[in-house]
Amino acid sequence: MKEVTMELTNVHKKIGKKEIIKGVNFSINKGEVFGFIGPNGAGKTTTIRMMVGLMNITEGDIKILGNSIKSNFHQAIKEVGAIVENPEMYAFMTGRQNLNHYARMNQDVTKDRVEEVIQLVGLEKAINEKVGKYSLGMRQRLGIAQALLHKPSILILDEPTNGLDPAGIREIRKYIRSLAENDGVSVIISSHLLSEIELMCDRIGVIQHGEIVKIQSLHESDEDAAGIVVSFEVDQAEQAKQLLMNELEADVQVRDHFVSVMLEKEKIPSVNKLLVDSNISVYQIQTTKETLEDQFFDLMGANTIE
Amino acid sequence: MSKFFKQTYNEQFKIYIKKSTWVMYILIAALIIGLAFIELTYGEGDQSSAGDDWRTELEQQNEQLIEDNEQAAEDEGQNEFIIEMNNDQLAENTYRLENDAPPRGYSALDFVNDNAFLSSLISLLTIIIAAGIVSNEFKWGTIKLLLIRPISRAKILLSKYVAVLLFALYTLIFVWFLSLITGMIFFGFEGFDSTIVTARASGYEEVTLFTEALKTYGYSLVNLVMMATFAFMISTIFRQSSLAIGLAIFLMLSGNMIVGFFAEQSWAKYILFANTNLQQFETGNMLLEGLTLPFSLTVLLVYYLVFVTLAWLFFTKRDVAGQ
Ligand SMILES: Nc1ncnc2c1ncn2[C@@H]1O[C@H](COP(=O)(O)OP(=O)(O)OP(=O)(O)O)[C@@H](O)[C@H]1O
Ligand SMILES: [Mg+2]
Repeated sequence: MKEVTMELTNVHKKIGKKEIIKGVNFSINKGEVFGFIGPNGAGKTTTIRMMVGLMNITEGDIKILGNSIKSNFHQAIKEVGAIVENPEMYAFMTGRQNLNHYARMNQDVTKDRVEEVIQLVGLEKAINEKVGKYSLGMRQRLGIAQALLHKPSILILDEPTNGLDPAGIREIRKYIRSLAENDGVSVIISSHLLSEIELMCDRIGVIQHGEIVKIQSLHESDEDAAGIVVSFEVDQAEQAKQLLMNELEADVQVRDHFVSVMLEKEKIPSVNKLLVDSNISVYQIQTTKETLEDQFFDLMGANTIE
Repeated sequence: MSKFFKQTYNEQFKIYIKKSTWVMYILIAALIIGLAFIELTYGEGDQSSAGDDWRTELEQQNEQLIEDNEQAAEDEGQNEFIIEMNNDQLAENTYRLENDAPPRGYSALDFVNDNAFLSSLISLLTIIIAAGIVSNEFKWGTIKLLLIRPISRAKILLSKYVAVLLFALYTLIFVWFLSLITGMIFFGFEGFDSTIVTARASGYEEVTLFTEALKTYGYSLVNLVMMATFAFMISTIFRQSSLAIGLAIFLMLSGNMIVGFFAEQSWAKYILFANTNLQQFETGNMLLEGLTLPFSLTVLLVYYLVFVTLAWLFFTKRDVAGQ
């Protein structure tokens, strides 16, 4: 059994009459990077605001290491480091003054720890400059620095890749992987762009209109997870389609001379044999992996690319 | 405790790291030095201590004052103010003659006492700080990072409030000391036991200037704390500073006028500003009939609790949603 760092149970949020979050359930394990994906306005930021106690939870509960953020705020929030939307800091203070400010709000953040975090995010050069002069990338780094000061068990990052260039994203990915793998920190990272965070996540949850529509592990082998689409080029496509539909009870698609079906890899030879035994000539067999991005678009109802 | 102390330090740090705060202090300093120059040039600042013949001088002055008043009474126009001023001076002189209290020259403590009117400037600055200390965090978006720490919202709010009061205190001390030092340089110092003759409910009395000065500043603190708390509450509820500054300054300036306007009403004594000037119970120069010190203290306390409770409720219970 995996250790659970954060658990959301039946979380609802109503603002006025509008229900923005409609019963969200999921949990995040120790050392896991969880991608929280959804289009604009899906409710990512709202959910994150509830996780960190900025917004009241209308119904349900969120527990961090077993402590409810509602009823045991102190114990729960101690374990959380977060950036909510933009990493806004005091522009009239230097980076170091900002970090010291937050360090004083936690019990045991030492001066050495502040220096350590500055090095970790690579801000040594700019740390004594006013934050007002920082570029967006530098502010993101400082945001991550303040979130890490108190060595939280869970790091919650709302669109940390927003406005970063590819190099910046790659760097963030590196920190996050290292935090999860080396320090056992759990990470929730939200984004509306799957491709930006796909490479750093262990698991993703897709939220749409305030509901979780899919939770998917990215580490299980591809075959298990989604299956692969196998296309057979045959001479008699319609006959092949009938045959495969009867034998495999699967959804079969035909396009020109290609018959496509979702299959596990091990089954390709037997299906091939089936076709050949029925006097259907097979000219070639192609496999295409359905990417996560495709699945994402499927879910979002966008056009899929065959 | 130490966590709260550190947070109060944080809040003060954020006040004093800003250049605008220091500009305020520089302006106050310039004003005080300017006032000293004006006093030296136009005031009684160059008047030396009274000689042995102070009695004849005062008697002569009294005769002159009575004469002036008769003249003023005959003239058409608004001379009431002049007559009143002359009467005050007359009463003071008479007290001095009767009680053998010779007048003194102008000295540093007189300057400090005269500068007590600067407390409304301190109120103004405190209102500006109080109006910004919560709402700016919302404006800057920093509220999100502030509230996700293991400190309750109530403690964060309290630390901000304490920081505001400390700002007022430091500024008051600054005005006090700078006035004292400037006064010493410009007018000399006659020790902390020099006295003045001043109006009391029971008539004129001779009191030590030092305690009088402390009292004048002390009394002004009531209004300062009430208006700063008011601004603090408004800015916490509406999450923006300009409304809080505007309302608080408007009320501060028009407080007495509001009381005057509704003076005839039976509920006028429940108006905050009828009760903020506690000095009226000492001088006997009452704003409204029928006020007593315990009554005023109760009214003040009720207003104060309402302000603080509203600020607390809104700050601790409300969602921090997007802009
Ligand atoms: N304070 C509020 N009052 C009313 N509705 C709100 C409020 N805050 C958010 N919403 C609504 O809740 C929904 C979810 O918003 P949220 O900011 O959580 O989305 P998001 O997934 O973070 O989107 P984005 O990718 O744009 O950041 C939106 O439809 C928004 O209009
Ligand atoms: Mg968002």
